[in-house]
Amino acid sequence: METPVAQSQPSRAIALGSLSALSAGLPFLVLFVVGVALPLFGGGYWGVIATRACVYWVLVSGLNLVVGFAGQIAIGWVALLTLGAYTASVLVAGNVTPPFPPYLALVVAAAVGAVFGLVIGLPALRLRTFYFAITTVGFATIVTQVALAWQSVTGGGVGVAGPIFPPPFSSEWGFYYFCLGLAAICTWTTANIASSRFGRALTAIRDAEVAAEASGIAKPALLAMVFLFSGAVAGVAGGLFAALQSYITPDAFTLDLSVLFFIAILIGGRSSIIGPLLGTILLTVLPEFAAPLVAWSTFLYAVLLLVIVLAIPGGIAEILDFKSRRPLDSHRAIIPRPDLLPRLFGSPTDGSLTLEQVALSFGGVQAIDGLDLEIRPGQVHGLIGPNGSGKTTTLNVISGFYVQQRGIVRLNGTALPARAHNKRAHMRIARTFQTPRIVGSASVLQNVMIGGTIDGKGTFAESLFSLPRHRRDEAVLRDTAMLALSAVGLERLASVRIDRLQHSELRFVEIARALMLRPAYLLLDEPAAGLSAEEIKRLGALLLAIARAGIGVLVVEHHPDLIFDICDHITVLNLGRKLAAGTPAEIRTHREVVYAYLGG
Amino acid sequence: MLESIVLSGVAIGCIYALIGITYNVMFSASRVFSFTAGALGMLGGVLGSLFIAQVGMPLIAGFILALFGGVVLGIVTEIVAVRPVLKSLDQHLYVLSTLALALMVQQFTAIEWGTDARPFPRLLDFARGGFDQQFWLPILACAVVIVGLELLYRHTLIGHAFMAIAEDTYAARALGLPERRLRMTSYALAGAIGALAGFAGGEMLLAFFGNAPLLTFYGFVPVALGGVGNNRGAVVAGLLLGLFQQAANFLVGGIFASVAVFAVFIIVLLVRPEGLAGAALQRRV
Amino acid sequence: MSLTRRQALASAGAVIAASGLPKPAIAANESIRVGYLPALTGPSSATGIGINRGIQLAVKEINEAGGINGRQIELITRDTQSDPTKAVNGAAELAHGEKVSVVFGPVNSGESLAVVPMLARTNTPQIHPCWVDSLTDPQKYPMCFRNAPTNRQIGGAANRYVVDVLKAKKVAVISDTTGYGTASVNAYVPMLKAKGAEVVYQSNVDAANPDLKPELLRMQSAAAEAIMPWSVNAGFLSRIINTRGDMGWDVPIVGQTTLGSGQTKALLEKPEYWAKVYPNNFRTVCYAAGGKLQARTVAFLDRLKRANIDMGDTLLWWIALGYDSPRMLTEAMKAVGTEPTQIVGYLNKLKGFPGVYGDISFTPEQHNGYPDDEVVMVEANSLRDGAFNLAPGYNA
Repeated sequence: METPVAQSQPSRAIALGSLSALSAGLPFLVLFVVGVALPLFGGGYWGVIATRACVYWVLVSGLNLVVGFAGQIAIGWVALLTLGAYTASVLVAGNVTPPFPPYLALVVAAAVGAVFGLVIGLPALRLRTFYFAITTVGFATIVTQVALAWQSVTGGGVGVAGPIFPPPFSSEWGFYYFCLGLAAICTWTTANIASSRFGRALTAIRDAEVAAEASGIAKPALLAMVFLFSGAVAGVAGGLFAALQSYITPDAFTLDLSVLFFIAILIGGRSSIIGPLLGTILLTVLPEFAAPLVAWSTFLYAVLLLVIVLAIPGGIAEILDFKSRRPLDSHRAIIPRPDLLPRLFGSPTDGSLTLEQVALSFGGVQAIDGLDLEIRPGQVHGLIGPNGSGKTTTLNVISGFYVQQRGIVRLNGTALPARAHNKRAHMRIARTFQTPRIVGSASVLQNVMIGGTIDGKGTFAESLFSLPRHRRDEAVLRDTAMLALSAVGLERLASVRIDRLQHSELRFVEIARALMLRPAYLLLDEPAAGLSAEEIKRLGALLLAIARAGIGVLVVEHHPDLIFDICDHITVLNLGRKLAAGTPAEIRTHREVVYAYLGG
Repeated sequence: MLESIVLSGVAIGCIYALIGITYNVMFSASRVFSFTAGALGMLGGVLGSLFIAQVGMPLIAGFILALFGGVVLGIVTEIVAVRPVLKSLDQHLYVLSTLALALMVQQFTAIEWGTDARPFPRLLDFARGGFDQQFWLPILACAVVIVGLELLYRHTLIGHAFMAIAEDTYAARALGLPERRLRMTSYALAGAIGALAGFAGGEMLLAFFGNAPLLTFYGFVPVALGGVGNNRGAVVAGLLLGLFQQAANFLVGGIFASVAVFAVFIIVLLVRPEGLAGAALQRRV
Repeated sequence: MSLTRRQALASAGAVIAASGLPKPAIAANESIRVGYLPALTGPSSATGIGINRGIQLAVKEINEAGGINGRQIELITRDTQSDPTKAVNGAAELAHGEKVSVVFGPVNSGESLAVVPMLARTNTPQIHPCWVDSLTDPQKYPMCFRNAPTNRQIGGAANRYVVDVLKAKKVAVISDTTGYGTASVNAYVPMLKAKGAEVVYQSNVDAANPDLKPELLRMQSAAAEAIMPWSVNAGFLSRIINTRGDMGWDVPIVGQTTLGSGQTKALLEKPEYWAKVYPNNFRTVCYAAGGKLQARTVAFLDRLKRANIDMGDTLLWWIALGYDSPRMLTEAMKAVGTEPTQIVGYLNKLKGFPGVYGDISFTPEQHNGYPDDEVVMVEANSLRDGAFNLAPGYNA
């Protein structure tokens, strides 16, 4: 039975969401109206330029998810444009098959683009940034070379005629509207992804990969979907490009073009749709105004890129972000509301999280050496010890980032698989980090929502088209995140860009994000570092309340006050071994601990 | 036939290796790969041709000025494209800033120097026929650089300082080493090595703006396969690449040769991302 | 004083600027707008720069002589930067935005392949000098004419020279990996075979490949009696010539016109390596036996010298082609005005327009206007003032 309160909240969230969506959608609407009305303003020449901008945007919109959201440096994306262009042209021309109708050829081009998007993109999972950038350039070269060599199909250097779409899209303005329509669809779908749990997960992979993994985000599957989508729209863009060019030869697909796509995104700004859209329009249209500078255009793009990277890393989107320039209240306080916690959690579980004889060494250094530990639901377990005693390493073994060389970690009696760090979230083990891992360009609310990624029900495809399950997911995630933020006392900052927050506030945001998992166990790595005495007190009360709600809490900390105030059980580490264990009272009087650690 | 493949394979391999060393020297000082490595090589050839063939300077003066041009670009890379983004290394902004700088250098050369390949002067006219300048110069340059770097790193104070920075930047800073000045010196050194590569390969590659992206790619292969920061690995991998490329040119020829090089590179990297000689890095959380 | 590339660009700009100035308002004196799509920058701009010198001179002369029935020619230039996408943008601007009466160019095939169908849709008359055969088709593109030879004509002339004059039975055909290079090898190899020659080597090689010795060794071991390179890349061509020289191999090289360009010459290791290199060229701009030029060519050279136009770093036929094109259009527009259908109607009946570059004729069914037998091979090392001696064997 749902209470009236619970019913009214999602609808309010939807109402709020649609209001902000409306204001965020305004620039797109203006651009679209200008686009539709373009034939009233200018001749066919601007039609060709505008068509080109639309075609490029179809590609860039997809690439934006790869570069702007997932942060993968894919410079050679022109390879996919080439593939799409040749696929569509060759199929319509009927060089190898019976001639295809243009629309069907465009669909095949999308499929081919999707497959090769995956092929070109997936090395990103194994290679470091610069390596990946170089391999994408390598692919771009290979594709052009193959187009030259495979003469029987591609026409080699002489090329092949582009497809011509049947009426009403055969005229220049007709074709323009066709491209404009597709560009609008791409804008809408990528904006849907951007504001979905998938979009947030991508930015988390980019800016806070470890936190993403701890939240259960599976990078390979997510990137695979994005590469498929990005490849598909690039394939479509290729087909449109061939139709616009009316004839394609390999020399039309230059690396300069690839660089243009890439720079358009960075000029626009990461994690933005409107920014790269404006960037694409700017880079397509600008050379047409600056005829005397035409020879210098690539040089100027490069200068622009350098200036953006060094001076305005946020790009156009940052310049347009007026909201984030309003000053924040400087006398704000974090007032957690532990009373809200029960609404976040289900019924408490039994069992425990145990470490048995766990050992791990790095090179010759024994980080932990035969450690036993038991974390019980409803209790706070403190883990203390000097620097280098193996506290954080213990956390990393529990959450799967490190693989122990000996020993077992058990959850309710079952051994946890080693190395599966993004599976821990599914087992409801949540954690925070010594240095807060956040997505700086996103709002506080969005950062917290990242924590609930695995609880979404809708698929990537449903999010693309904003189908009901996607909207329900979003409403639920938003409500839960608001609740979690209220519980840690930060709900008033929900819509603020997170990189404007103070360090102490970030610690509470990380707790809110961890709470999104509805964890059975919560691991905290020095949550009190950098907090004021008053804030530490509130943090202690919050953690205690979390434990009393039935959660097993493990706190790694240096602050004795916090540890002795809230812990039910304390383990003291020294040089990777357990020095002592017991209740706070026992530890306080433990001779060795007092000498070795508490300093008398 | 075989002799020809080996000779030109080794010569071009030496140029790739030198560009690889350019990458390495910059990397060890800053943990950053720079797209300007290829631009340095291109510039070495273009400046050599400009000073010696166009302006008509004496050989030694032209050579020194060409290297000086490389040094300047190296230092500019450090100041403009590397130093400002080192603070946030994890955002990989260096990929973008060095790409932008490399594009600027390349486009500027294309416009001011022209888009046609221009001749590179013959420096000393002896040993015509089999073993002439275009072969022995790159080999000599590569040998000089590798021996010079060994001596520098092992037997000089500044060399030890370089090594310390490469091993552990924080520790080096804690020891009071002037990290920033050492980094700048490394980039200057890398600039000279890159320009030397282009100068030595000038007769083979000609003075051509399009050599920049070419060398950026082919010069990175020795780094990726030989192991990051491993100069000897870079030389071995560079020579292998040169021989493989020339052999592929001869055996399959034309278009398929360059496809073969790219494909092998990508496949090897996917199988061993840390390179043929490198060790897997421990992940830090 | 010579006209450098930079000055040529500046003067192209100056012509645009000057003709944009307000003129006395005489209704019939409105200028005639001629669209022009050269590649003045970018990797394939050598041809465009040569042609540009001729175009600028011709337009200046025509305007100084009173223009077309009193109306000045206004040349609307869009630099394609050797890039097909920029060429399409430029063509759209000329056809839609600038409303030109006729377009000359683009001058590179890769750009023309994209621009020709586009201009055909806007019913803009077009003349271009690109060689790829499929670029003229009176059925598909009734308003598009070519005032230069086709690839087939060029290859035919080179093949005739190799097989009939040099009596080579075994031929090596090599090109770079560009569109032009691969297309040429594809077209010429069957033509050679049809003439009874044996193609013992055939390959597309990356122009950036620094060492071509393996390629030439393969040709040599296949006992090739002539090498036919098809590339516009001077670096690539010079490597072939240099390698032949270093090997001490005495085989003739017969092929693309760039074999004889100043850029190729500059890249040779030794001047004597240029012997036995026969690029294709055009009879009207070549020295016949005794070093004589045709009368119209002599007059043309005079004009070029008076206008201080540099010929040392380009080829005379490029300038001549550029010079002829606006003059041919002027003749048409003087006769029938600027209506597209009228211009096309006039060109369809053009017979023997006496260009410096060659006599151009069109019919409604044949829009390739250049005569077959004007395409000749020349001696590369006889280059002076951008022109060459006919290769040995042309004793006409």
